[in-house]
Amino acid sequence: MKSTAAIVGTGEVPTGNYPNRTEAEAAVTACRQAILDAGLSPRDIEAVMPVGVVMGSRHFNTDLIFSRLCEELGMLRSVKLNAQVMAGGASGSATLKVAYALVASGAVRNVLVVHSDKFGSTTMQQGIDLFATLGISEEWEAPYGHNANTAVALITQRYMHETGTTEEELAAVAVSMRQWGALNPNAMFRKPITVEEVMRGDHVCTPLRPKTMSLWADGASAYIVARAEDARHITPTPVYVRGMASLVTHYSVSQEANLAFLAFPEVAKEAYAQAGLGPKDIHVAEFYDAYSVMPLLAMDAMNLCDGDRAGRFIAAGHTLPGGKLPMTTTGGAIAQGHTGAGVGVSLVVETARQLMDKAGDRQVKDAVNAAESGSGGTWMDSHISILSREAR
Amino acid sequence: MSDQPMSRPVPKPTAWSQPYWDAAREERLVIQHCNQCATKIMNPKQYCPSCLSDDLGWSESDGQGTVYSFSIQKRSPASPFVGKGPYVVAVIRLNSGVQLLSNIVGERAFDVQCGDAVRVAFEPIPGTDITLPVFTLVG
Repeated sequence: MKSTAAIVGTGEVPTGNYPNRTEAEAAVTACRQAILDAGLSPRDIEAVMPVGVVMGSRHFNTDLIFSRLCEELGMLRSVKLNAQVMAGGASGSATLKVAYALVASGAVRNVLVVHSDKFGSTTMQQGIDLFATLGISEEWEAPYGHNANTAVALITQRYMHETGTTEEELAAVAVSMRQWGALNPNAMFRKPITVEEVMRGDHVCTPLRPKTMSLWADGASAYIVARAEDARHITPTPVYVRGMASLVTHYSVSQEANLAFLAFPEVAKEAYAQAGLGPKDIHVAEFYDAYSVMPLLAMDAMNLCDGDRAGRFIAAGHTLPGGKLPMTTTGGAIAQGHTGAGVGVSLVVETARQLMDKAGDRQVKDAVNAAESGSGGTWMDSHISILSREAR
Repeated sequence: MSDQPMSRPVPKPTAWSQPYWDAAREERLVIQHCNQCATKIMNPKQYCPSCLSDDLGWSESDGQGTVYSFSIQKRSPASPFVGKGPYVVAVIRLNSGVQLLSNIVGERAFDVQCGDAVRVAFEPIPGTDITLPVFTLVG
């Protein structure tokens, strides 16, 4: 795939519980940061693409749809398109794909993608009740007490059955996430934990223990995609899109034909082919979590574990800071916090930050190529993107 | 979000799913199929997902299959299920080839493993005219 688009700027506000920070304030702040980071002015932006709001107010969601950000940030009569894209947890990968298509087609010169949502004030039971409806069939699944936790538990159990992955290895994913979170000033959980601490938490639903899951948080992040020919004039460190593969595999998780791996094996192969790169070329993996099993599927599918199983590779410490394959360097939803559709957007932002040499204490030395993954709803789709400092 | 308690989710049959729920009330498991291309369909649909035909029918299932995956909900379920646990959620692969979500019930339900053989059973939802197909471990 010829690199016809690149990320040129990113912005993000801290993730956590911020009852006095409105969704709008967070969105505007993240957008302003992204525009300034790119060295652009507001009137250079030609498209604004907000992601859908799940827990923040309906009024704020319609504000995003109806161009409030264009007015707040001085983009009136210069932005040509303000339109929402929503794919749940896959919204990072999905916005990247749509933004890529818009600039590659020549429809617009650039796209500002933004997510802002407010989950931090949600009570545990409100969240559980909401997530017993999202991606859950009302007629065929909800009557059985099924919910988002059991959905991923079904995937986790089958993945363990087919690969031999252990609960301790799933705990090691959370340990890796927390170590990265400790280095991330925007993360909600910055204290490292041990496998023993994770294993001490009683199952919520087997085989899931609380610390292998994530907690809801407020957050906002933004990034700008520009045409490749513009990108190199905008920033000295454009991050080129080299591969973007994805496949929708189900609505009801009960209808998934490959519960252990979803479509990650197919999309990993396609993404490598598009990028003209292989497993040895990937220096950092920004893989979507929300739950500890999800990055394992992408790690295995992309063959990033020296021929070993992802669980054993991670338990050996190879994805930790300083390890041979740094993974999800924000700490992901498990450590940075679960902002809804924003988890994926923040991983696209982190992918760009790593390849722009702007990742602070988390910076992976000499990272040239990175992979990013996403999945939405009750894991309805599998996305893998490959980004690079080098254009193809 | 409101703090109103959720009521227990009860299937609301549609024009195209009504035969499934009618059969379940009679303790029969039926699976939808396409009369044009013979595709077996689950969950039931308005049109055949293979050929988009509206010429759909139903056949009796022997209710036998295996556990594709499962989870035991031990705590923190959705409001309507608080105090009803622990319970087993599972994806069942019927021998006829379709998959469905259900519960594993019965004495040995918590011993369930992937690949275990199961057979359909039926549980009425009290106070409604809906009966849910559920499964028990066999052997």
